[in-house]
Amino acid sequence: MIRGLKLEGKKEMSLSEEIIDFSSPSRVCVPLMNNNTSCECLVKKGKKVRKGTIIGIRKNMDFPILSPVSGTVIGIDKCLYLNGEEVDCVVIENDKKENVIKKTLVKDITKYTKDEFVELLRKCAVTGMGGSDFPTFFKYKSDASFLIVNAVECEPYLTADMMLVKLKAEVILESIDAIRKINNIKKCFIAFKENNEIVRNAFLEYIGNYENIILSPVKNIYPMGWERHLVKSVLNLEYDRYPSEVGVIVNNVSTIFAIYKALKFQRNITKRIVTITGEGFTEPINVLVKVGTDMSSIIKKIGKYRGDKLKFIAGGPMMGTALPTDHVVVSNNLGAVTIISDTLDEINECMGCSRCIKVCPAKLCPALIMKNINNVDELKKLHPELCVECGLCSYVCPSKLGLRDSVINAKKKVK
Amino acid sequence: MKFIKENGPHIKNSDTTSKIMTRFLISLIPIVCFVIFKNTVLVYFFTSETLISVLHPIFMIIVGVLTSFISELLWFKLVNKTNIKTSFLELYRSFSIIPGLLLALVLPINTPLWIVAFGAFCGTIIGKMLYGGFGQNIFNPALIGYLFISVSYNALLGSPLNAYELDTLAGATPLTNLTSLNYFGTYDSIVGSYGTLLNFFSGTIPGTLGEVSKLLILIAFIYLVITKTIKWRIPTTYVTTVFVVTWIIGNSLGLGIWYPLFHILSGGLLFGAVFMATDPVTSPLTPIGQVLHGISLGLLTVVIRFLTPYPEGVMTSILFMNMLVPLFDKIGVRLRYNIKRIYIPILIYLVITILLIINIISNINNNKTNGIDDVGNKVKIIEIKKDGNKKIYNVTSKGWGTIKAEVEVVDKEIKSIIVTDKKDETQWNELEKVDYIYKVITNQKDINKLDAVSGSTFSSEAIKNIIKKVLSEELK
Repeated sequence: MIRGLKLEGKKEMSLSEEIIDFSSPSRVCVPLMNNNTSCECLVKKGKKVRKGTIIGIRKNMDFPILSPVSGTVIGIDKCLYLNGEEVDCVVIENDKKENVIKKTLVKDITKYTKDEFVELLRKCAVTGMGGSDFPTFFKYKSDASFLIVNAVECEPYLTADMMLVKLKAEVILESIDAIRKINNIKKCFIAFKENNEIVRNAFLEYIGNYENIILSPVKNIYPMGWERHLVKSVLNLEYDRYPSEVGVIVNNVSTIFAIYKALKFQRNITKRIVTITGEGFTEPINVLVKVGTDMSSIIKKIGKYRGDKLKFIAGGPMMGTALPTDHVVVSNNLGAVTIISDTLDEINECMGCSRCIKVCPAKLCPALIMKNINNVDELKKLHPELCVECGLCSYVCPSKLGLRDSVINAKKKVK
Repeated sequence: MKFIKENGPHIKNSDTTSKIMTRFLISLIPIVCFVIFKNTVLVYFFTSETLISVLHPIFMIIVGVLTSFISELLWFKLVNKTNIKTSFLELYRSFSIIPGLLLALVLPINTPLWIVAFGAFCGTIIGKMLYGGFGQNIFNPALIGYLFISVSYNALLGSPLNAYELDTLAGATPLTNLTSLNYFGTYDSIVGSYGTLLNFFSGTIPGTLGEVSKLLILIAFIYLVITKTIKWRIPTTYVTTVFVVTWIIGNSLGLGIWYPLFHILSGGLLFGAVFMATDPVTSPLTPIGQVLHGISLGLLTVVIRFLTPYPEGVMTSILFMNMLVPLFDKIGVRLRYNIKRIYIPILIYLVITILLIINIISNINNNKTNGIDDVGNKVKIIEIKKDGNKKIYNVTSKGWGTIKAEVEVVDKEIKSIIVTDKKDETQWNELEKVDYIYKVITNQKDINKLDAVSGSTFSSEAIKNIIKKVLSEELK
């Protein structure tokens, strides 16, 4: 059974025909972060860089961080990252010439071997753009029989993936087809919400040209975009820890687009679509921005904040982090900023309504975890380590308790 | 610009604890209306009772509600030393009136007001505030109040019959009647004296204030489930268990489907199952725990109804099972991650149920065949004094305790009964109220047709047994 909850989408407010291009900032601050791990800096102040120059490296995985612009390194500075922490960033003055290391254009993008493909993904620093920022080449190291492309975007308010599909459906399908042929994958599935006509129609236009790519509508519930739910829903398979155990790779649709850039031009992705949305912002819209851009400079150009007691959230309202200021830098995995009013909750004692237990997609008992938070032996039996931090327990709680915080806390305690 | 930094999620469901409790109260409104209709309006128009006396049930509800409200207010004021404004806010957030209201609804109609107040006070202070207030209590506060009343003042609880029913119906509540029949009888003897099962469903039978209208309780249940206010698994498994077990018992005694229906429609079963067993604070959180909780409640209620002298078992069962809630949740959590082991509780419950059913059936069958010996065991003739044609029997008879009496017989007819020891009979005053001994003597030829006094079944049966024993002795 797939557990979850239907949430009010609120996606229409940021949907539009076009996206606004803000992709030439005067300078960028590239976070030296990958999948919440700090990376080592490899450049010094004054060094000239081009698009694709290695500026940092994640040592344990030999995974590079590449420059999104051409220009001069000004220095290293602390900037606000989407997880709410100030992290080291390489500040680069953008000369706006967009010089690349090596200009390449591959005609037939299916002509790679599997090893070349994996090496290419590593060199081009392709990471999970749905939010994890996990190096993608890792997923393709083992053999897989199925690929699920995640175009679900189950968080309310967010439309960045939807806009990408709307504008680039053809390219995405081409990329999927290439990945399938290179990796000998039997079938590819594109998972999207069953009520999302925009995504369905965008793909339907071109899908006839491709074999073995199947549109696979999934239930309109949150958190349908969770890997475990997708694998269960699309293939009716269950696994213990990683989808690779059952021969499945799950990639976000924007990661597929990044892979296309790598296959076609052999370079890294330098821009991404970010949704700026929420009732607290006058002009909700999708923008195209360079990685490393300070979001506040773009927001200033588009519209104004409205209302008081606002929250500035990096990501969607369910899993995003509320930030103290709007000076967050764009990273690969920042899909949206949401500006909404505080919910002004009336907090009460836990009354034992058991809704959190009923709704938890990972089958946890958040209320019991909260009650036993100081009893580690008991906590171990409640398996808080299975939590995916989707936040539904806190969302449904009628007493408005911070159940997710408790479970995350418990997760640390049982480690 | 500064923003609020707070942990997510940043949107919340619009339902709140106060909304849930408000819906709970709304579902009780029709039941309170029915109480007023049945016990005030109907009684006022069809009997010669005064207005003040027919308003008694309304006063009971008001006293219950006010007492629990005021005692909680005093607690905040005197123990927590909060100022008046925060006290009221706390009261609003802790739903202080619910224990008092529920308590009033599970008491019989003629309960004195000060007892209602005493129960509501004990329920609120001992059952709720001493544990730390809303959300911390282990036992259902209303039932703690009920427990205190039945332990301290059971004798004063009063009859569950309103003035109109006293005129039209003889005797006790259906369940007391069933107990005095040793759980076995025909449709006429068990259901017939109260009308049909439809009367049971609509609520025109005697019982405590709130429990009688099963129709309204059913409507409230549907409303509460649709609005996701209560845990539906508990009442459904509870009532189903009672139904299935009594159906098997009835079936093997040759009784029809009306027998299990009688069991679920009489007494406080539905009321307790819907409004008290589902109290979110004192019921299990895990779905499997809730099912086990419901089944256990059903089995315990059957045990109390059939194997103890108490006719009703719902309130006691719920109170007892409150203690086992952590255990049910523990089992629920274990099975949540290892569903294959579900066969263990299934097996255990199956064995318990089968043993219970066998025990009850053999018990009823014993009573059926040994009816007269039963009287023989309960009544002992100590000595017989002869004085001309007058004989004095010195007897003891088992009621709640042991009754000692002297019976005067002339010409095989009982002339008088003098009860010399009745110190164990806590509810003797009920017998005196209706001059039961006189009734027994005048009806001695047809003693089986005389009903027991409600609320004092055991003392009544003890007196009746004396008559049976002495007369059978005379006929030898």
